[in-house]
Amino acid sequence: MSTVMTAPPRAADKKPPFVLRGVMQAPVTPLNDDFSVDYDRFAKMVDFHVRNGAPAIAWPHHKAESPNLTMEERKLGAEVMVKTVARRVPVSVFVGSLSEEDSLDLARHAQKIGADMILTISPYCRRPTQEEIFRSITRIGSHTDLPVLTYNSPWRNGEGVEFTSTLVQRLIERLPNYTGMKDASFHSEKFMEISRVALNMRPGFSIVMGLEHLLASYPLGACGSFSSCGAIAPNLCNRFFAALVANDWETARTCQYKITKLYRLFKDQYPSSLKGAMISMGRDAGPIRSPLPTASKERVDFLCQQLEELGVMDTEPHGW
Amino acid sequence: MKKFNPGFVHTPVTPFKADQSIDFDTYSRVLDFHINNGADALALPMPQGEDISMTEVEQRKLLDFAMKQVKGRLPVIAHIGDPGTDIAVARARYAESLGAAAIAAHPPYFWHPKPSMVAEHLIRVGGATGLPLYICTPVVEDAGTHLTAEIVLDVLKRLDNVAGLVDSSMRFVFMVEVLSLGREIKPGFQLLSGTDYMVSNGVVGGNGVFSPLASVAPKLARQLYELCAKQQFTQARKLQEQMALLHHTLKTAGYAGLKGALRLMGRECGEPRLPRSSLGAAETARLAEQIAAMPFLQGEPRGW
Repeated sequence: MSTVMTAPPRAADKKPPFVLRGVMQAPVTPLNDDFSVDYDRFAKMVDFHVRNGAPAIAWPHHKAESPNLTMEERKLGAEVMVKTVARRVPVSVFVGSLSEEDSLDLARHAQKIGADMILTISPYCRRPTQEEIFRSITRIGSHTDLPVLTYNSPWRNGEGVEFTSTLVQRLIERLPNYTGMKDASFHSEKFMEISRVALNMRPGFSIVMGLEHLLASYPLGACGSFSSCGAIAPNLCNRFFAALVANDWETARTCQYKITKLYRLFKDQYPSSLKGAMISMGRDAGPIRSPLPTASKERVDFLCQQLEELGVMDTEPHGW
Repeated sequence: MKKFNPGFVHTPVTPFKADQSIDFDTYSRVLDFHINNGADALALPMPQGEDISMTEVEQRKLLDFAMKQVKGRLPVIAHIGDPGTDIAVARARYAESLGAAAIAAHPPYFWHPKPSMVAEHLIRVGGATGLPLYICTPVVEDAGTHLTAEIVLDVLKRLDNVAGLVDSSMRFVFMVEVLSLGREIKPGFQLLSGTDYMVSNGVVGGNGVFSPLASVAPKLARQLYELCAKQQFTQARKLQEQMALLHHTLKTAGYAGLKGALRLMGRECGEPRLPRSSLGAAETARLAEQIAAMPFLQGEPRGW
């Protein structure tokens, strides 16, 4: 029989000076033709999102090819993001990496440059135990004064890095600056357990869904999502969240169904097709670093046709 | 195909005697309890009725008995879980001959067929009768072949009498993909929850539930269902949390936990059939403590 949790005493809450709410944007990383990072276009990308209603900016998620960026590139990109956003909305730096030492370094850097929070995960690809994840997050979270969000990424085969409700409870008890989670479980039971435990222990704990799979979790306590298709359809993202807030479920369903169709287009070799589709919207973010493939001309044409069929071309902004 | 909306479906347990035989006397009380406590329809035997622990002959007898006991008071959905296609087809036809309202079937577990063969199995079972077919996600997702949205959509295109999908996967993306793309193929296509996590299912567009925990807490389950049916998903959160706590409490012990909870509610249904083990004394005492600590169960019916 599993342990059933109530709300035990915990470390004093350290509330962040902002509220995470809405479809938040996680920009792609624009690259030059020689595959170097194009920081000027990255600044344009960040600014585009802020001007188009993003309630927060988060970088570099996997969509931004973070495992393909060097530490130096990640630090410089984070600086460009913070400078470009210029306090208009909160900024999150993803510090997850294969090496815990790199994560600590990135967390220190994020605080130094004035980011508002960090998102982290214990080093992946090692089938970590719950105890190993606890120790890793505790180490990273104790290393910064910034609010810390963790990235819950359980995989179907039992690998991945999973934050169970028991682990979330322990981390809330241990870390006063543990204020939220990016949830990629996309699973009713897993989500409900985290929500039931975390929101009772730490009201205001922010559960942010990955990839706009938000409709199923919003009534149960999700506060928003990190967007997959905001680089294509920011108006759709904003309309979706407004419908959720208004409990206009019919409109929210229409938006979620369309977003799901968009993600079905992008999920193959993500974010290759996403970058390919951005070309049709007048926002060319360049190629993808190996081993992922850059979208071919045929793929770009196909994506353009699909965006037209979905009505995206007429309702969403073109250019930067 | 006649339109059928099952609504709030209860999935009764199967009581067993100490000698492991089906306790039909108690089963009649179980069925009456569900009929008298808010069910719109019954689905059996389902995993809660320990379907795979019964022989094929027993499953036929169980359905035969249930149809006579229910006497048309509610629709009965016959669950056909056999992993052999021909056996499943024969039992689906038998269910139709007894007057079942619909068939619920899932991919054949144990085997690892290719997706096209999973579709073929479902099409043959569903096509064996003129009844509405509800495709159920597998109980154990990682055994056998995974049921993808593409398989469901393929079956939907090729078989006229598919009425809907009963989802126990609880996966947001699967639910949204199946429902949104399924309704483009067949506008009346239904999504029902196969668990008591009804809010997520309902808010993405689902419209019914096969409720495993209605046998323990029929009032709570019904209230949750009705809030979802009225599209009051935000208001349903508190009840969903309560249901999640009950689910979480019973989950690890499985059928033993479910039957242990029924005993605590005054509805003795025996122990799970072997090879499933029963609760030990310490586990039983702990479960009693946990159930007693759930004030929301105080309003639930005790006894039959």
